[in-house]
Amino acid sequence: MDVSHLAQTFGSLFVSIFVVATYTMKTMIPLRVFGILTNVILIAIAIPTHHYPTLVLHGILLPLNVYRLHEMLQLVRDVKKSVNSDLSMDWLKPFMTKRTCKAGEVLFYKDEKAEEMFYIVSGRYHLVESEIELPVGALVGELGMLSPTHERTQTLECIEAGAVLSVTYTQVEELFVQNPEFGFYFLKLASARLFENIGKLEERLAEYTYDRASAAPA
Amino acid sequence: MNSIADSFRFLLSDLTGVDDCATPTVPIGVPEALRAEVAEAIAALIAYQGPSYAELYVHRLRRFARRRDVDAALLGLIAREMARRMCYDDPIRIAQHHLATAHGGDAVMSRHRFRLDELFGALPGKIGWPLLLGCERAGWTHLPVSMRFNACSGAGRLRLRLEASLRRWRLFSARYASERAWVERWLHMIDRSLAKRPAAASAIAATAMMIQGSGDGYRRGLADWHALIDGIVKPTFDGVLPVADLAGAVTEVVALSREGASRQLVAAIARIREDANRGA
Repeated sequence: MDVSHLAQTFGSLFVSIFVVATYTMKTMIPLRVFGILTNVILIAIAIPTHHYPTLVLHGILLPLNVYRLHEMLQLVRDVKKSVNSDLSMDWLKPFMTKRTCKAGEVLFYKDEKAEEMFYIVSGRYHLVESEIELPVGALVGELGMLSPTHERTQTLECIEAGAVLSVTYTQVEELFVQNPEFGFYFLKLASARLFENIGKLEERLAEYTYDRASAAPA
Repeated sequence: MNSIADSFRFLLSDLTGVDDCATPTVPIGVPEALRAEVAEAIAALIAYQGPSYAELYVHRLRRFARRRDVDAALLGLIAREMARRMCYDDPIRIAQHHLATAHGGDAVMSRHRFRLDELFGALPGKIGWPLLLGCERAGWTHLPVSMRFNACSGAGRLRLRLEASLRRWRLFSARYASERAWVERWLHMIDRSLAKRPAAASAIAATAMMIQGSGDGYRRGLADWHALIDGIVKPTFDGVLPVADLAGAVTEVVALSREGASRQLVAAIARIREDANRGA
């Protein structure tokens, strides 16, 4: 029995175990890890047995799996970092698509069913009802995804042509489902942003109450 | 086994058009006198597209039904016009209508003229958008296309069924995207009117009547509506155009649009703007 025959027999058995294990994974990160291990083993078997089509196929699949795993781990790391620092949502940018906006264009209307969130890249935008202008770098609509009614609370209008990045809630939900760790940190981040908003509102209410009390006649 | 089949049905639901949404009911806050009319609109929307689409109608109507500053007459107008605009005319709707009448024992045959962009706009976006862009570049958007809808023969009914089956992809079409944006803009203008000029809210709700049917008439009505909103209504709400009698101005423009007097309509908008600026 030569080396290549032995490698083929034991290798096939070994690979079968890894293929089955890969398919039993429920979430994306372990699935990619097992996918990579399977690729490596199959490449290792294909070399002594001179099975070049398998070698080429897994030579392509290996970097693809490594890249996707890196993307997923990077995402989790960025969300985790964001929770512990500035609560920014910049980590979402690689998953967003760019869209240009003309002056006067309305991105969404108040009370409309919300389906996507936006990241302002350039131009000027304002919330019509509250007459607040949003700065470049602002993220709009991230809390709408978690609200049970999915309704917009303001109308967003472009007042000077520019560009926004958008991502649908479905895409974020997919990331959420594929990766429970991402989901956990995303929830923490969204809650932190919500608490931050509540804090700001409380500050404004306190200022307003103080102003009214000061203005009231003695 | 049943649950696996259900899972696959869910996976392919976009393709097969299965709509698992429960049948929506008339929202709370709709006055008794309007409930039958709203229920009828819900049934029409279910027949037109499906329960999810009817749910969208209910959701939009609920925004106004829960408000104290919206009386029964205004709510009725919004409910009626919104149902009409949400059941917009396209080749799919005409095919559905012919099949329904044939099912009731009254088979008819008719010929309809569409613009080329209307036909391409009714296709799923992935196919429709490139065709529309190509059409625009070639300057063919206005080309008339005649279509025959025949429910009198077996082959005709089969063709109608095929056309009506496109219903499942209607919500992915370019036309739906623009209709959705239009309805939201119209509702937004009513909402802003209730906040800034409550006396003009009914007149603004009635602007939906400017848009009727299909083909060139539909395009002209749509262009007139946008001219009215961009020229008078929105600048008034933004505080840059002080129109004293907004309801009167809107009613005048709507009347001109319904008469088909587009040139006079443009002149009337310019005059109203000029008068308002002079008055300021």
